[in-house]
Amino acid sequence: MTSTPTQTVQAFLEAFGRHDIDAAIAHLAPQASVTVHPLGLRDGGPDTLRQVLADLVHGFPDLVISVSALISTGDVVTAQFKAEGTQAAGYAGAINQEKHLDIDQAWRFTVGDGLITGVSAYWCQAQLYRRLAVKRYDEIAIA
Amino acid sequence: MTTLTERSRTAKSAAGVVTEFFDRYRAHDVEGMTDLCSINAGFSYVPVELWGKQRVLRGDGKVATIGKPLWTGLIASFPDLSNTVHTITSNDDGDVVAEVDIEGTQQLPWGLIAPAGRHYREPHLFIFRVGPDLLIDRITGYWNDAGISQQLGHTEVD
Repeated sequence: MTSTPTQTVQAFLEAFGRHDIDAAIAHLAPQASVTVHPLGLRDGGPDTLRQVLADLVHGFPDLVISVSALISTGDVVTAQFKAEGTQAAGYAGAINQEKHLDIDQAWRFTVGDGLITGVSAYWCQAQLYRRLAVKRYDEIAIA
Repeated sequence: MTTLTERSRTAKSAAGVVTEFFDRYRAHDVEGMTDLCSINAGFSYVPVELWGKQRVLRGDGKVATIGKPLWTGLIASFPDLSNTVHTITSNDDGDVVAEVDIEGTQQLPWGLIAPAGRHYREPHLFIFRVGPDLLIDRITGYWNDAGISQQLGHTEVD
């Protein structure tokens, strides 16, 4: 039985929450389009998302994903969730100062035939850098 | 007995309300935008936060008290403020999700960003809840504020 779009996205997020990146990416169609606006990544593929998830889990090994809403509008599912964790390695150019991260975000998924065919991720990189004690965008690695 | 209003809420009519909202935003008709919202409509612009020494001010509250002043201030600082709606999806429960680029050229200070005449264009995701009366009950917005700051030439993480 084919999953509903919401079930597909829920399964992706649950796998991400378990830090099981292979299981998460298995819910993407091979030709899925991935855009991660805060990282300036446009029209990538599943490997792009794999790297984004891997970097997050590497930078924040205790990463917790708390989903507050899954909104289904046809073949689009929008997830609102909070990502929380403690920095343990460099992330997005920011050196590790063992700061705690909590970022509310929204990811828009398109789903077809039980697989995710598109992802657009929205969060605020200013909030992220603020929490990681970064002072300047042009000197991210300097605390 | 069920009484039908003249326009009942469907996915299509809810999306129509949001389309009209962005049309009015593009026309800088803040009163008209507010008129599309219920009197107690909730408002959350997630990236908006100002860190003070003892407290953090957030862009959370009501359309009437937080949203309207914020829209008015944005239009004052960016007199050519505009938007491009890329996608709108909706359902019969009144949920509407819109991908929208917001852009403008800075002429007055915006937050801690001094005006340098620079232009920004940033993708936004808006999530609306439209009530059975076809008034917007809630607006939530997500975007990358770092992108806006950097496009405007502001390199400090405030």
